[in-house]
Amino acid sequence: MGYLAWRNLTQSKTRFLLSVGGVALALALVLVLDAILAGFEGPLAAPIERSGADVWVSQKGVRNLHMVLSTLPEGVVEVVAGVPGVASVTPMLYTTQMLRGPRGSRSSYVFGLPADAQAGKPAGAWPPGAGEVILDSGLGQVLGLEAGDTARVFGRNFRVAGFATGLSNPLNGVSFLRLEDFARLRRSRDTVSFVLVRVGPGRSAEEVARRIEEEVEGVSALSRAAFARRERAVVRDMGADAINIMNLAGLLIGLAVMALVMYTATLSRRAEYGVLKALGASSGHLYRVVLAQALYSVGLGLGLAVALTLVLPLVLSALGLNLPLQLTWASLLKAGGMALVVAGAASALPMRQIAGLDPARVYRGGAR
Amino acid sequence: MRTERAATLRVQNLSKRYGSGETAVQAVKGVSLEVSPGEIVLIMGPSGSGKTTLLSMLGALLRPTEGRIELDGLVLSELSEGRLPDIRLRHFGFVFQDFNLLSALSALDNVAIVAELAGLGRKAARARARALLEELGLGARLHFLPEQLSGGEKQRVAIARALVNEPALLLADEPTANLDSHHGHETMRLLRRIAKEQGKSVLIVSHDARIQDIADRVLWLEDGEFKEMRSLATDPVCGMTVEREKAVSAQWEGKSYYFCCRGCREEFLAGPQRFGKATARERE
Repeated sequence: MGYLAWRNLTQSKTRFLLSVGGVALALALVLVLDAILAGFEGPLAAPIERSGADVWVSQKGVRNLHMVLSTLPEGVVEVVAGVPGVASVTPMLYTTQMLRGPRGSRSSYVFGLPADAQAGKPAGAWPPGAGEVILDSGLGQVLGLEAGDTARVFGRNFRVAGFATGLSNPLNGVSFLRLEDFARLRRSRDTVSFVLVRVGPGRSAEEVARRIEEEVEGVSALSRAAFARRERAVVRDMGADAINIMNLAGLLIGLAVMALVMYTATLSRRAEYGVLKALGASSGHLYRVVLAQALYSVGLGLGLAVALTLVLPLVLSALGLNLPLQLTWASLLKAGGMALVVAGAASALPMRQIAGLDPARVYRGGAR
Repeated sequence: MRTERAATLRVQNLSKRYGSGETAVQAVKGVSLEVSPGEIVLIMGPSGSGKTTLLSMLGALLRPTEGRIELDGLVLSELSEGRLPDIRLRHFGFVFQDFNLLSALSALDNVAIVAELAGLGRKAARARARALLEELGLGARLHFLPEQLSGGEKQRVAIARALVNEPALLLADEPTANLDSHHGHETMRLLRRIAKEQGKSVLIVSHDARIQDIADRVLWLEDGEFKEMRSLATDPVCGMTVEREKAVSAQWEGKSYYFCCRGCREEFLAGPQRFGKATARERE
């Protein structure tokens, strides 16, 4: 009976395109939103993951970077250094600033690190000299800055000493100053924002983090992996409601399109379903035809939606837009599940029609 | 294809009443009938005589108010509603006036799908459908959609579909009404061949007087009951079967002619020589 469903679906090209296209657009909306979120989440924690620090120590209660303020007394650095298992400590100052360049301005994480930093420094052009800044290459591109140019940080001019790679995320760029410059401009000589810890050989980051929290008062300590996980979770939580609402919108659009198409498709074949019923097809047979038709539609729609989501980054790139998209298996499973829900729900209404068909109408509906 | 089958339809005191009380309509009243294997029975009658209701009941599409229908030893009128689809599928072959083929399926699939519904695998169903269609002269049209077939071809596909599950009884509703004279005769000959060569019982409801030529028996249904066959005549203008007692008549060259309406009579009288070969036929 599957072939009857397929032929019914494809006989009218317009209805077929409407059905599959409508579902594809709705599911593509769901997939693209998820891909955008995943694309944001991916590089979001890059400054943490590439820091080389095994443990991030912060003011008590601070457990991520984005939109936080962490202040620790400078003396904490030495105390942390004395905790068993700690191999090295690096003090770090941190804030979020708008950086300006000839092409425009952009929000950036600004890190201040000592010249001899053991962790947190970017690979490549380190250290910056006094009055110099190192930018992530993505940020430099956005601001239109090249090495030797001048960038405005904290309202002062800094010479661009070089570029780091792979640290920017869609929300923020990343830039590095010397700790002394940062402290002088922010007047934070006796404080640090974070202490970056490297653990000794054979020690686990989680264990050392736990010991730091036990032995140092007023701090939180998280392993790099845990700190990065929290960073992603914050952004996900910030966008979750909007994403969920749009996913629901996608589901409802898909459902409405499918239900309408399935209903009209069944209505237009009401007489034929009546003939099949008269010939001896049970309602169950006919339900299966309608359900198979819906499943074919959503299956093709899902395939098309995945293709659209995969092609979209290429289109955006060609348009000069930098929107990272990352299609995940979890997102595919979610869209697949939604597609099944849409197919089931969209079939319900036509099934009621079929159940109510009187097979004897096959004679009464004739020319007589 | 099976060639012999002992199929007998027995109908006893069958009635159908729609509605109740003062608004009740008695569509069929105490009809009894027997159809033997290989027999072709034609039921004729005026519009509104209850032919469609009777055919629907005989085809297990409609429950009788009273009476008994027995097919191949199965008492249909006593079966539950849930069993009727399967009975229709395996014991009846339906042939409709409008062919009622599925527009999205090829001729082959239109026939095969009914065999599949009865539980045959796709491959076997298609093989059986192919053999039937080839036997009916449609070997070159297997993959044509209904819209690509002529009326006669569509009706042959419909007949193949009716035969694919080897039913005991073929029920044909005005099988020639939408066909031209040539294809109408072709369909009639085909139905007769099926009845006589395969032993199928064929019950036809029709206004088409030409079918009397192939029928073993003609029954006249009027006001929901079989009546004694009246003297029937064929309207020489439109070909419709009319009752002499009720028809409009005219004389020409010493013979009586009977018409379904005054329009046909006037058309006849305007040029009787055009219809001169048509003669009134007595039917008993």
